[in-house]
Amino acid sequence: MTALSLKNIDKNFDDIQVIRNINLDIQPGEFVVFVGPSGCGKSTLLRMVAGLEEISSGEFWIGDRRADQLPASERDIAMVFQSYALYPHMTLAENIGFPLRLGKQPKEIIDKKVQDIASILRLEQLLDRKPGQISGGQRQRVAIGRALARDPKVILLDEPLSNLDAALRLEMRIELAKLHKQLEATMIYVTHDQVEAMTLADRIVILNNGEIVQIGSPLDLYTKPVNTFVAEFIGSPKMNLFPAMVADNLTNGTKINLIGSSDKLMINTAVNSNQGLQLGIRPEHMTPSNEGAIKGIVTSAEQLGSDTYIYFNSEAKDQAVARLDGISAVRTGENISFNASQDHYHLFTSEGNRIN
Amino acid sequence: MVRFPKATTAWLLLTPMMTIIIGVVGYPLIKTVYYSFTAAHLASPATTDRWVGFKNYLKALGNTKFLDSIENTAYFVSVSVSAEIVIGVLVALLLNQAFKGRTLLRALLILPLALPTVVNAMMWRLIYGPDFGALNALLSQLGLMAEYQSWLGDPDLALWMVAIADIWKNFPLVALITLAALQTISKDLIEAATLDGANAWQRFWAVVFPAIIAPVSVALVLRTIEAFKVFDIIYVMTRGGPADSTKTVSFHVYQEAFAYMRIGSGASYALIVVLISALLIATYLWLIKKQGNTA
Repeated sequence: MTALSLKNIDKNFDDIQVIRNINLDIQPGEFVVFVGPSGCGKSTLLRMVAGLEEISSGEFWIGDRRADQLPASERDIAMVFQSYALYPHMTLAENIGFPLRLGKQPKEIIDKKVQDIASILRLEQLLDRKPGQISGGQRQRVAIGRALARDPKVILLDEPLSNLDAALRLEMRIELAKLHKQLEATMIYVTHDQVEAMTLADRIVILNNGEIVQIGSPLDLYTKPVNTFVAEFIGSPKMNLFPAMVADNLTNGTKINLIGSSDKLMINTAVNSNQGLQLGIRPEHMTPSNEGAIKGIVTSAEQLGSDTYIYFNSEAKDQAVARLDGISAVRTGENISFNASQDHYHLFTSEGNRIN
Repeated sequence: MVRFPKATTAWLLLTPMMTIIIGVVGYPLIKTVYYSFTAAHLASPATTDRWVGFKNYLKALGNTKFLDSIENTAYFVSVSVSAEIVIGVLVALLLNQAFKGRTLLRALLILPLALPTVVNAMMWRLIYGPDFGALNALLSQLGLMAEYQSWLGDPDLALWMVAIADIWKNFPLVALITLAALQTISKDLIEAATLDGANAWQRFWAVVFPAIIAPVSVALVLRTIEAFKVFDIIYVMTRGGPADSTKTVSFHVYQEAFAYMRIGSGASYALIVVLISALLIATYLWLIKKQGNTA
């Protein structure tokens, strides 16, 4: 049985359609991440699951129960807000125990549960404090604790790490992943940060303009993006897309030309010869080579220690980027050329859809 | 350029204002304290120096009319302030909901506040008028009342009617303060409580009430201080009548000092009123300080 099921879900605000035809099944224990740029509808979708926004049309099921008319308080879904939304006048213990107190649980059970959660989240020493007296990372943990208190069917997390500094964000990301393993809870996580999506998700749902663009495991999205939007969204620095055209149709594949370059590249896919193309190559798959078909002039180099990002203007595309391991001695203004293995080619139509 | 230490600069800058305050508040206050120990009478200047010790105070505390006026005031304060708080908070909760015309209603809320107290009092005196008043007309035309009533002429009713006029004018202050507090409540908190399983009533007690209790209690004390010294509305509507039923302490002090010209005993009444006001103001300052500590 699926934990949650969304069928043909739409959402309109007045005349504006913000969510279009969403179909998604989420399995029990799954960690699903909604990711997409600002305004893509991911938070609206999450709020519809929570019951904080109405669904304009379509069906929403929790287990085998139709739930789109069910009030938020009866869905047995907990949520962690970006702002944490802790009750400022209650102690941390009271915050975590609040859903249980509303559920009229006996005091001993509430106290025990609060203690258990506090020990999982390392909050034992802080339970008598109020939210104003603790740090951002601790508040984040309390918000998660409150969501766990009721053992809800699903836990929703709306950009929970975006108010934390970089170091704390990394730490909490690892903790969240651990927590998910430990509790085996069904979680839906919203973020605009593709690194969070890649590291946490069992499955990623990529949204753009209110529609699902692609659903898949993090590596599926990385290795087989369905279009240039996904290709550029997943991976950092983002994928290079070189405009290209067919030069020759051969029996064992196609020869293509990057626009502006005379060198030809061989691909093993058959392509219609009038077809405009885009060849995608990830920065980490670019290898410097004297005979490389992708030539350009270095405009800048970022030395990260572990890697070097080399930005260059190629014949086919300005501001292409290559990611090299370790420290590289490349200088601005230098001529440079790259090769990439055919296995790492991503071929798209000029409209941006994947070919093959 | 001469540079003074910070404290000196502060004192220098404060001096003009301090001088004015000492002139218009300090001097009269000291003079009042002095008069309260004399038998001063406005009509006979020779009496200003006739020292009587605590006689005025003892007389004041034994004067049933003065004690009655304190009782009237307490009655007026508790009726009008509690109604202003309840109505103000309810109106603020309504105006915090999203609906068409909300901005217009919020603007209209200011109107009673913007009205001078005297104009408000005149208006309500007209409404309550025994012969041509709107209230009589309304109630009789609705068939709720057989005969016209003299609203301000009935000793059992008059104080209530004055209180209603005061409530109408002042509940918007409470509503505005509460509304401002309500707008600081994050929508996330309400939604979090909803998802935690709270119904509307539980959300009010868990989220809304704790957020507004501090500002509302400040409004409560401010309104209490104001209502305690009520004078103008009484002066215009009833002059303390009928049968002293609306005579409040301020009005009593006014009568004693300026109608009967007994400045000496008037001063002692006034200082007793000041003492009670001081207690209320101390409560106010304590509340403000307490909020400063918890914020």
